[in-house]
Amino acid sequence: MPSLLVILIVLPAAAAAMLLLLDAKAPPVRARWAALLATLATFLVSLGVASQFLSINRSGIEGTSPVHAQMEQKYTWMTIVPETADVPPITLQFHLGLDGISLAMVLLTTLLTISAVLVSWTAISERSAEFYASLLILETGLIGVFCAFDLLLFYVFFEFTLIPLFFMVGIWGGPLRRYAAGKFFIYTLAGSVITLLGLIWLVVETYHIGIATHTPLATPFSIPAITELLAVHALPMETQVFLFLMIAAGFMVKVPLFPFHTWLPLAHVEAPTAGSVLLAGVLLKLGAYGFLRLCLPTVPGACLSVGMPLIGTLSVIGIVYGSFCALAQNDIKKLVAYSSVAHLGFCMLGLFALNTEGISGGVLQMVNHGLSTGALFCIVGMFYERYHTRQLSELGGLANRMPLLAVAMVFTSFASIGLPGLNGFVGEVLSLMGMFKRDPILAMIGATGVVLGAWYLLGVLQKAFFGPLQEPHHDSHDEPVADLNAREVMALLPLLTMCLWLGLFPQGLLDLIRPDVESIAKLYGDVHATKGTGAKNYSLKRPSDADESADAALPENVERKAPQANPNPNPNLLNPAAPEAPKSEVRP
Amino acid sequence: MFDWLKPHDVLWLIPAAPLLACLWVVVVGHVVRRQYAHRPVILAIAFSAVLSYYLLLKVVPEYFGTPVAHDEHAQEHKSGDHAQADHKDGDHKAGDHKEGDHKKDSEQKVGDHKDGEHKDHDHKVAVAKAKPSTAISVNVFGETERDGKVTPVPWIRIGDPQGVPTLLVLPTLRADAMTALMLVMVTTVSLLVAIFASSYMKGDPGYPRFFAAISAFVFSMCMLVLAGNFVLMFVFWEAVGLCSYLLIGFWFKKPSAAAAAKKAFVVNRIGDLGFILGIFMVWQTFDGSIDFDTIFGDPSVIARVVTMQPEILTTICVLLFIGAVGKSAQFPLHVWLPDAMEGPTPVSALIHAATMVTAGVYLVARCTPFFVHAPTAQLIVSGIGATTALIAAITALTQYDLKRVLAYSTVSQLGYMFMALGAAAAGKEFATLAVTFAMFHMFTHAFFKAVLFLSAGSVMHSMGDVIDMRRFSGLRKALPITHITFLAGALALAGFPLLSGFWSKDEILAIIFEATKHPKHGEFFKVILGVALLTSLMTAFYTFRAYFMTFWGPEKFPEEAGHHPHDAPPAMAIPLLLLGIAALVVGGATGPTHLYGNYLAHTPGLPAAHHHEPNVPMMIISSVLAIAGISLAYLCYVASPGISRNLKSGMSWLHTCSQEGLKLDAIYLRWIVKPLRLVAQISEFIDRWVIDVIVDCVGFLPGLFGAALRPIHNGFVQSYAMVMLIGLVVCLVTALRVLAGM
Repeated sequence: MPSLLVILIVLPAAAAAMLLLLDAKAPPVRARWAALLATLATFLVSLGVASQFLSINRSGIEGTSPVHAQMEQKYTWMTIVPETADVPPITLQFHLGLDGISLAMVLLTTLLTISAVLVSWTAISERSAEFYASLLILETGLIGVFCAFDLLLFYVFFEFTLIPLFFMVGIWGGPLRRYAAGKFFIYTLAGSVITLLGLIWLVVETYHIGIATHTPLATPFSIPAITELLAVHALPMETQVFLFLMIAAGFMVKVPLFPFHTWLPLAHVEAPTAGSVLLAGVLLKLGAYGFLRLCLPTVPGACLSVGMPLIGTLSVIGIVYGSFCALAQNDIKKLVAYSSVAHLGFCMLGLFALNTEGISGGVLQMVNHGLSTGALFCIVGMFYERYHTRQLSELGGLANRMPLLAVAMVFTSFASIGLPGLNGFVGEVLSLMGMFKRDPILAMIGATGVVLGAWYLLGVLQKAFFGPLQEPHHDSHDEPVADLNAREVMALLPLLTMCLWLGLFPQGLLDLIRPDVESIAKLYGDVHATKGTGAKNYSLKRPSDADESADAALPENVERKAPQANPNPNPNLLNPAAPEAPKSEVRP
Repeated sequence: MFDWLKPHDVLWLIPAAPLLACLWVVVVGHVVRRQYAHRPVILAIAFSAVLSYYLLLKVVPEYFGTPVAHDEHAQEHKSGDHAQADHKDGDHKAGDHKEGDHKKDSEQKVGDHKDGEHKDHDHKVAVAKAKPSTAISVNVFGETERDGKVTPVPWIRIGDPQGVPTLLVLPTLRADAMTALMLVMVTTVSLLVAIFASSYMKGDPGYPRFFAAISAFVFSMCMLVLAGNFVLMFVFWEAVGLCSYLLIGFWFKKPSAAAAAKKAFVVNRIGDLGFILGIFMVWQTFDGSIDFDTIFGDPSVIARVVTMQPEILTTICVLLFIGAVGKSAQFPLHVWLPDAMEGPTPVSALIHAATMVTAGVYLVARCTPFFVHAPTAQLIVSGIGATTALIAAITALTQYDLKRVLAYSTVSQLGYMFMALGAAAAGKEFATLAVTFAMFHMFTHAFFKAVLFLSAGSVMHSMGDVIDMRRFSGLRKALPITHITFLAGALALAGFPLLSGFWSKDEILAIIFEATKHPKHGEFFKVILGVALLTSLMTAFYTFRAYFMTFWGPEKFPEEAGHHPHDAPPAMAIPLLLLGIAALVVGGATGPTHLYGNYLAHTPGLPAAHHHEPNVPMMIISSVLAIAGISLAYLCYVASPGISRNLKSGMSWLHTCSQEGLKLDAIYLRWIVKPLRLVAQISEFIDRWVIDVIVDCVGFLPGLFGAALRPIHNGFVQSYAMVMLIGLVVCLVTALRVLAGM
């Protein structure tokens, strides 16, 4: 039996194939129920994967490599035997796996896809089998990106996600759908091509280093292998900078960072609701995830010297500029799209703080933005379906008519604003804290986004939801517009619950991603050597620790830790250290 | 009698009760028995209030009532003993703590975020050891290990689980003398306001929503003062902002209420921005520590920072003060508070008297150990306070909306408190006194401002929601209870001799007077003192202007009131009377007897205080000013109303200026909001017509390249044949030439 991870990736695609091949002319009802069942099943499988993952004892893996996958699945694709005998054959693999970060993103994807199906329930009535098939194929692509630990596989999945979304925007979108779909596709593809060149160059360079240091790589496309080698033998600085810029090109468009963001509002406005939910919720994260997976661990020198100032500045501009653009919008969907630019700015600001706080905050922000913006797009879709307008000037006092929708909107807006107790806060604060440690000025400018965010989102609440009722012309003249129905509540409820849960108990997620974040941050000399454990000695760390641990050889570190190890088992919520748990690593 | 009730249980019970009530109302009370939604809320707040009084007795049991030690040795000695005793006590508590675990478990699960994951909750009782402190702290979540040790479960923790975290936010509740006093004030006033509101809000369609928000507000405020570290405090600082948003915008159908709610939240956010940056800076300066106990408990921690980076504390203090400016409505961020009047009147009473606006004063008072090392920051505090007090007093002079008069007077009184807080710039020995007097004024102010607002609410209630003072007058016969309570509050606010406001205001004047003797900052404080005295006169005047306009003169009702305006029903009258009595006596009972000051002095971290003698000349001056202001108001609005009319027409420009709050709102709108909106429009324009056009142009280039080659592929067979022919000829010629060349 194949492992759950493979099932997870294949399941949505199989469901899509069934929809298309067996039942292409299915009535909408059958198609949407099939899609709902498929996404629910996928979600359940992802929960199974999560529980398997959590039963793995991951203590101590921080030292092994900057990127380390669990539950690995390796299938050899082809083997190239070089002419010289002293070099081992080069193997290309389907290398699947999971780490804490990718698990979080996979769960986000499977959860959001359910909501995406539910919000399309009545909105998509034409060619619905094809629509849901695209949605499911998109899900496969997204899960694939997060599970890929091989450069080629990563890139294939990364590009593959464009295709279903292209069709979703282009076929089921708004009036300008063709232009939007084309622009979205070509713009991101153009960026990605540069990234591909960069990745190939990276592999070639790494391979040569491997040969030169007599540790040749058998699998030069495997991300853990590359990062492990580069963590010991760094590339020359100039190469790093060029590689960074090339690899970053595609990801910067995808995130999107400030000057490369113009495809996003257009794509969002034209996309159907489900497309917007997945586009904002997961697709944008591919860029940030790419930075985290491919840039930060491979070219640390360039990330620190070029990336931090460059990306940091662009993110800060993105935060402020995106917020201002959002403030000027009359179309709520476009407003939310620009708010995504600002939020992703926070995320990138955190990642490029290059320390544990910042990267943790960035990853949290990825998840949080997915949840809250996903929910915002769902809500916008819901009242668009009722009124066929999203113009702020035409709406007013919707809270009088639809109290449930208004409650959901207020809740989601505050989550998005970053109110403590809801999810946005922890991610934003950690990102800013991390950046404050690295560069206080950037953090201070970035923090103004918090005020601007409150301004534009509360402005939407004030204009569209509060005040006297003002309804535009709508279809059902005789009866008033109804409040949320059970299906719509079910679409929103999981997202809002997760917003609240992650806001109240962020530590579970932080513990999940901690080993992976720390092993990356270690490259930047941020993880401090263990010293003086004890309940009250939390507070004081010395600056000199940084120097010690920056180049600390790993075995030493472990030895130093051992005698002082805290007798208490670690207080992780999600990762109870269970030594008897079976290691579910599969190495065929 | 209450031996079974440990102080550390009280700590989490105080906020848990309102939270539980809030959840109950949201989940159940919203649907079932909507008109009784106030009951669980009032019950919960009453429960919290009782526990707060109990905590007040428990936090500083040994010292209670004794005068502050004059010489530091005695105090240190005694406190040292005390700390030891406390420590033993703490151990003991931890020991016999287990018995109650099961019962608590069940309650706690509901009360504290319903966390079902940890089977064995326990609290970690940590009595601060190193210093003479009397702080009690408790971690809300804890895991008991097999060996009986309790590990606190963090809210946020960054770093190796076995090692030293770089960021650790524990859900620690912590109480010391200052917290206990704040809690007593918050819960008492909130309780009375909630009782008042149960009658005031009767029949409103959003009745349960209102009480859910009220209890959430009380919960957030209790947590704010109980928070044991900066981040937790910030969390509830924002939560208070959220609750105020929900309450100010309670009648969301009114566009003005929706706008006021947004304004309150956004303006507060500007302050919060400063606060969070201040926290970042504290976190970085103190090596990742954000705990009050760690930072304030041991003076050597701050001393080390001061020696290493002498200027950093000034920056921290200014940033923290920006937070206080937002929340406590100080100039230039005070504009949200008068607009907050759009909420129901009990909300105004709650926001203005006991919660929310006091948070800023509390923050600055809490951070006194920082501020004593940053005289520059303190001068800023004082200066901002004085500016605010003056601006707000001038504005209050000419308002016609009764609630707005009171709102501006709140802003002005808060300015007073900050003036006092900054007076410690004149010397560290003043720090404790300054904090004491500011907190004391806040304490008395809570009572008399609550009674004033609730009386105004009672007036509104009987006048059919009309609050414009020009539309009614002479109400003292129709509304006798409201009249008496309003008068009590007004007298206290005006600083009439021997009433609450008199004692607290006099102390503030006295400390500023002391500060004027400072060689370096003396001149500065002379100006402050002048402003304080002038404001004091104006306060008496505008308070009694409102009083006379409302309750004196010919009896006149607006038509909305109906024929027979009725006075407050019992549920409104009783809180009014209780608050009225409190407004009269609470200052006299706790001020001149030094009860309040001595109690507060036990707050750990406050430097040792000098004994303070009442300043008799200042008392006389302030009494004279108060009586003069009252007489002036009587003269202008009762004896000969012509004066005020003539003044108004004579100085109409000044009058409008004052009435519009020195036109600050207009200035902000014109010079800040509109330019920012313009920036937004420009950004939008740039996005659409510059950046996107560039992108499209770049995208157009390959097409252009293609277009250049396109004419060749025109689809005519003749032209293709032509091209082929030319090609053939060229090839042939080349071939022949090559051959010929051979």
